[in-house]
Formats: sequence, structure tokens, C-alpha cells
Amino acid sequence: MSELLIRHACVVDPVNRISGEIMDLAVRDGRIVESVSDRAEVIDAQGFLTMAGGIDSHTHICGTKVNFGRYMSPEDMRAGRTLKKGQMHSTSGYSVPTTYGNSYRYATMGYTAVLEGAMAPLEARHTHEEFMATPLQDTMANVLFDGNWPVMEAVRDRDVKRVAAIVAWVLTAVKGFAIKITNPGGTEAWGWGKNVTCIRDPVPYFEVTPAEIIETLIRANEILRLPHSVHLHCNNLGTPGNYSCTIGSMDVAPDLNKERQSLYVTHVQFHSYGGTSWKDINSKAHVVADAVNRKPHIVIDMGQMMFGKTTTMTADGPMEFNLYKLHHNKWSNHDVELETGSGIIPVYYSRKSIVNSVMWAIGLELALLIKNPEQCLLATDNPNGSPFVKYPEIIALLMSNPYRQAEIATLPPETESRISLPAIDRELDWNEIAMMTRAGQGRALGLRKLGRGHLGLGAIADIAIYPLSIGAIDPSKEYTRVIEALRLTRYTIKNGKVIARDGEILSNRNKTTIWVRPKIPEQHRMDHDPDFIRNFERYYTVRMSNYPVQEAYVPESTCIETEAVW
Amino acid sequence: MRVILDVKPRKNPFLPVEAECLVPKNFVDEREPRDLSVWVGNKERRLEEVVTLTREGTATSPEDVELVLRGDTSRFKRVGEYMEAGRITIEGDIGMHCGNLMKGGMIVIHGNADSWLAREMVGGTVRCNGDAHHYCASGYRGEKRGMRGGEVEVMGNAGDFTAEYLTGGSVTIHGNSGDLTGVEMAGGTLIVHGDCSRVCANMTGGTGYVYGMVHHMIPTFRFRETAIIGPEKVKMSVFEGDIANRGKGTLFIKVYKYPL
Repeated sequence: MSELLIRHACVVDPVNRISGEIMDLAVRDGRIVESVSDRAEVIDAQGFLTMAGGIDSHTHICGTKVNFGRYMSPEDMRAGRTLKKGQMHSTSGYSVPTTYGNSYRYATMGYTAVLEGAMAPLEARHTHEEFMATPLQDTMANVLFDGNWPVMEAVRDRDVKRVAAIVAWVLTAVKGFAIKITNPGGTEAWGWGKNVTCIRDPVPYFEVTPAEIIETLIRANEILRLPHSVHLHCNNLGTPGNYSCTIGSMDVAPDLNKERQSLYVTHVQFHSYGGTSWKDINSKAHVVADAVNRKPHIVIDMGQMMFGKTTTMTADGPMEFNLYKLHHNKWSNHDVELETGSGIIPVYYSRKSIVNSVMWAIGLELALLIKNPEQCLLATDNPNGSPFVKYPEIIALLMSNPYRQAEIATLPPETESRISLPAIDRELDWNEIAMMTRAGQGRALGLRKLGRGHLGLGAIADIAIYPLSIGAIDPSKEYTRVIEALRLTRYTIKNGKVIARDGEILSNRNKTTIWVRPKIPEQHRMDHDPDFIRNFERYYTVRMSNYPVQEAYVPESTCIETEAVW
Repeated sequence: MRVILDVKPRKNPFLPVEAECLVPKNFVDEREPRDLSVWVGNKERRLEEVVTLTREGTATSPEDVELVLRGDTSRFKRVGEYMEAGRITIEGDIGMHCGNLMKGGMIVIHGNADSWLAREMVGGTVRCNGDAHHYCASGYRGEKRGMRGGEVEVMGNAGDFTAEYLTGGSVTIHGNSGDLTGVEMAGGTLIVHGDCSRVCANMTGGTGYVYGMVHHMIPTFRFRETAIIGPEKVKMSVFEGDIANRGKGTLFIKVYKYPL
């Protein structure tokens, strides 16, 4: 039995309506409890800001494409090198660091759980191997279903239950967490050198539209009662004028779940562009934000872009090809058999570029114009918008209008007429920030009931204590102190154990991989479906029996079993 | 000042030695000897454990320092990395990555050089009297810019991917060069006196000369004219390209053969 008492913590926990109260937190065996005995280890939080451990609901830190980003960018590997120290491994890389680099940097920022945004099912083993080498965060993986052949065939036959059965089989086989759709249909069309322009274009051969794929998968998701909703990366990423397509995709989503959203739309900043070309690109964040405000069953994440160097990587192959045509730098393109594809490009987001400045403003506008912070989560689509180490700066921007105005003053003057950010004076408070960085994620991923994203009794004791007395400072004026404090926790506690103190890592390993196993009626399982088996053996390069990821790849895991409503 | 570094016999001479500390500026002031160390395999060793140091004379700036490497240095990697001034003479063979990202000064190798000689070099001079292996004067894997300035001269042959991503400076190979010599070249000058194959594929800029035979000539170069080049009055075909890449490079070739 291990006990821990955190004294004088200034707790911000919007789920339990605690807003900056100085209180003690008692922890026993990794859970928050009412009280502990006198023998408990005591940490004095000195009245510093204390929140639940951060959760990143969309990031790319593990898997084949991240690794490809690493080896195509030697210049990135030369940046951000740190030496081996004590039990810390050496790390390197800035936008695509080594797995330990990711894990340590997240831990020192107070993050204790991360969701890998896109895992190709066929390449799941690699993702799980890198999860094993990410020692300090609980990990989950979204599984790509955007161009899955059996799914698209079932969608064409309008057989939702069959889609659900395929999803159930794949999720269980690859130990995934949720359904991810990246540019639905577009990546499959890219296999034929094409793309889809929006949700009503048919996919070559399959003759289904992205709208049908999205809607059927949402319904299948609810049949399986998965903890998270469908996680959608809309069509047309990064194309001027794509905001109407984004809103169209949101319109497709039915409202099917009372406890959480029915559709999670990711990195919406990249999907809120107005105009007709790069020359007249402008922000349509207000239109998208309005749509989200009217649809409580939609949750988005910002996908904030920050200036500087980074690497973009996505399963959206055709989009990366368009980017390559802009930059003519390095480009990687990848096809995953019957499932999906991917592309990788290093980029530099420049303050001097009007396009980049508009992108920067759109992410912030979304967060400031969406009324309910639970509906707009903080993420940069790491590393696509910027590496996650810039989260503190984004928080400061959201909390301080003077900081935003100072930044806007450094942008090209032509930007101002294309964005609405200069006119928005909303400043978020600590409750809203806690909502956008942990509580909202807990709800969106369906993990709140399992004790994540809050500090109520029985919650998992993932706690971040930042060296900042929130009563004594005004974030609007003293934003540099906010940035400073959020970069490095005084303590990061995971499962009741201190894993980081003042930037020093104190734990070798403290993690679990969360995956789901939906239970469906025996007679509908894909293991017995002759059609599925025949097509699998015919088209895949691997045998169906070799496809599932073995238990050995998830030595530390938490399986969420769900009962399908058939 | 000359500093002679005589490599001591090693139990396992195949273990690589990470010797990036072997640059002239680290040997300037002998009154304050720097604590130099090298990694031998996975063990960190003091430099004196691996080589015998002999100093002749004094020096006040790196320009006056000459390092002489003697003995079996064929596994010494990254010698002269980020070197800015001075001179390094290697009497035998040298390991990989010699003259990495070098900015100035001179490196002379009397033996052969392993792969990545003068990789991503910015300035200075490298001369190799023997052969150079693959990726001589190129960029590292995944790097889009290779050598940007300075001069590299190889008296013998060079391996594949010589002068890959060449962006500036000049590379001269007196012997033959391997496959894809000057691939993705964007600037600078490449001179091959012997044979090579698929030369300057995907080039976008710069000038290449091949005085020998080009095997597998890339078909996407546009023939411009025949010209008489240099004091030896060599008759050469002049190409522009690589037009597959909208390239504006110029390629002078004495004899070439298209792939069958």
C-alpha cells in the first residue's frame, strides 16, 4: 500500500467544480481517496496550481510515419539533444524526437496520457513497440478506417452491423482504442492518383461517398458502444475554401450519445479556411465555431499552428503531395495495402507569410469563439501544427489579449483584414484551460468515468503541480510567467508516484496502454465470416492469423471491454 | 606547431572510435591541456589511452596547428568535424565522416577515406591521395543540401553517390566515380576525370564535367552543342538538365552511353 498526501494544493478541477481552492489531496494505491494515514509521504504544493494530469487527445508520437519523419530529418535529430542523466535516457530531436524525448517532455509539462492520432492497423506492431518505449504516459491509438476495403464494401451494402463487426474485429486484433477516419475515401482515391474534393464525391471502384463512410462509422461506433467517438480528419485539409466541407461533414453526424460527443473533428484549424486560393485565403473560424456552438454533439480540437520549424505527417497522402508541390523539399509517401496511406513533409511556418499568419490566427479564433471549452480542446496535432512543447505558449495566448495583440503586431499588415482575432477580447480562465487540456479530453475520450481528467474521489492520481500561484498573478499581463510555469511542473504525479520534479525524471516506467475489445454476438464475428476470410487471404500480403498483434506487444495494458447493442 | 598522434595498438582494431575532438583548435594551448576523450565502441576513453601525443613547437591560434595522425586510423570517425582552421594530415587510411561540416583549414589523407568524406562541408580543402568510398562530399541521408563550399580532391576513385546534393564549392575525382555521381546536384562544380554512371541525375543547377565514359546516361538531359573545353582542347558534348526536374544545370561529357 502506498500513500501520498499533497498539502496546500491550489486545485483547479472543473469536473468537480473546484476552482482554485487551497486543499489537501490524499492518494492511496494510485487513486484519490478521502484521507490517508500519518505514514503517508507528504508533498508540500505551496499553494501552487494543481490540476489533473494533462491528456493529449490528438498527437503523433509513435508509429511508422513518425519514425519515417525521424529518419528523413537528420537536421531535426541534431536539434534538441539531451545527454543521458541518471536514469534518463539520452534524447534527440525537436519536432519528431525519440520516444523517450517525447515521453520526458510530456511528463515535465504535466501530461500523463496521450492518444496517438493515427495507427494503420497493418503497422500496429510498430506503434505498440514505440508505446513500450514511451515509459511515462498512458497511451492509446486511433485506428485508421478511412480506406478500409471491407468497411467500404459494407458501407456500399448499407450494412451497419457488418461495419461494426469489422471494426470490432480490427480494433481487437490491433489493440486500438478508437475509430479514426483521415480524409475519408481520399487516401484510397490517392492510390489511383486521385482525391475526393468533398463529402459527396464517390470513391473510385467502391462508389461510396465520404459522407456515407462517416455516417455509417458513427453509427457502428455507437452500436459497439466504444468509449471514444469517431475521430474525424475531414476531407480537403489545408485547402482554401475548405470550411464549407468541414461544416458539411459535421452536418452528417447524427447525435447518438448522451454522455459524450458523437463526432470528434480533429485539427479544425487546418479545415477552416476561406477564399479560393493561397492568394486570398482568409479565416472562416467564426463560421465553423458557430456551427460547433449549435451542435453540442460535436467536439473539435484546435490544431493550433505555431511559427517555427516542424514536420507534418498524416495519413492524408494526397494533401502531403500538394504540400510537396508547394515546397519542393523532402517528401515521403506511403501506401498501406487495403487500409490507408500516409505522407510526410518537413515545413517551416513563417511569421512573414500571410498564409501562415492566417493559420495561426484561425486556431486561436476557434478556441475563443467556441463558447463551451469542453467542445474545443487544446492540441496542435503535434507535430503538424507545432511540436507539443509549445502548448504553454498557446495557453498564454488564450489567457491574454495583450499577448495576442503583441503577436498580431509582428505579422504582415495584410493579415489583419483576413482574420477576426484582433477584435476578440475573450480571455480564458484557469477553469477553461483545465477543461481544454484535461477535463474535456477525459470526457471526449470516454475516460472521465474511469477516473481520468479530474481529481474527484476515486479518480486516478495523475496530478500536475505547476510552480505558479494563480491568485497572485494576472495571466493577462504576466503571460511570460504563465508560459514559464507551464513548461516545467514542480511535480508530475502518475498513479500516485512522482514521475518528474522540476524537469528531472524520477521514474523508469509508469504506464499502461489502453485498448478496447468490443463484444459482439458470436455468430457475427469476422473470424467466422467466409467472405471476410476469403477476401483477407486474397488481397492482404499477410495471413489473417498473423495479422493480430500478440499480447507480448502490450505487456502493460488496460483493456476496456464493451458490450455491443446488437 | 605539429602534434603527432600515434595510434596505439588496439586489442580489437575494428571497434569504431568517435574522434570528433581531433580538430586543431583543441590543441592550441598546451599549458592548459584540454581533457579530450573519445568513445571507443561503447566505452569513453581519454585520448591519451588511445594515441601517443607528441607536440613539436607552440601555437597561438588554430591556424598554426597541424595534427598528424599516424598508425591505424581506419576506424577513426568524424576526424576534423566542424574544423575551422589549421591542418590535419592523415598518414594512413581514415574512417567515416572525416571533415564533416568542415568550415575551413585543410585535411590531407595519404591513404584511403571511408564513406562520407567531407560530408556537408562549408569551406576549406580536403585532399585524399587514395580512394574515397561512398557518399564523398555529399549530404547526409535525408539532408537536402550537401557540400556548400570549399574544395574536395580525390586522387583515386570514389564510390557511389559522390557529390550528392552538391550545392557549392568544387569536387574533383581523378579516378573513376560510382553510380549516381552528382545526383540531385544544385550548384557548384563537379569534375570526374574517369568513368561514372547515371551522372547528375535530377540535377537542378551547377556544372558537371566527365572526361571519361558515362554509363547509363540519364535520358532526360537536353543536348545543346559540342564544345572544345580546356587547354587540352577536349571535345565534349554539352547537356542541359535534368529537364525531368526543370533543372538548369550544365553537363559536359566526353563519351556517354544511354541505357539499353
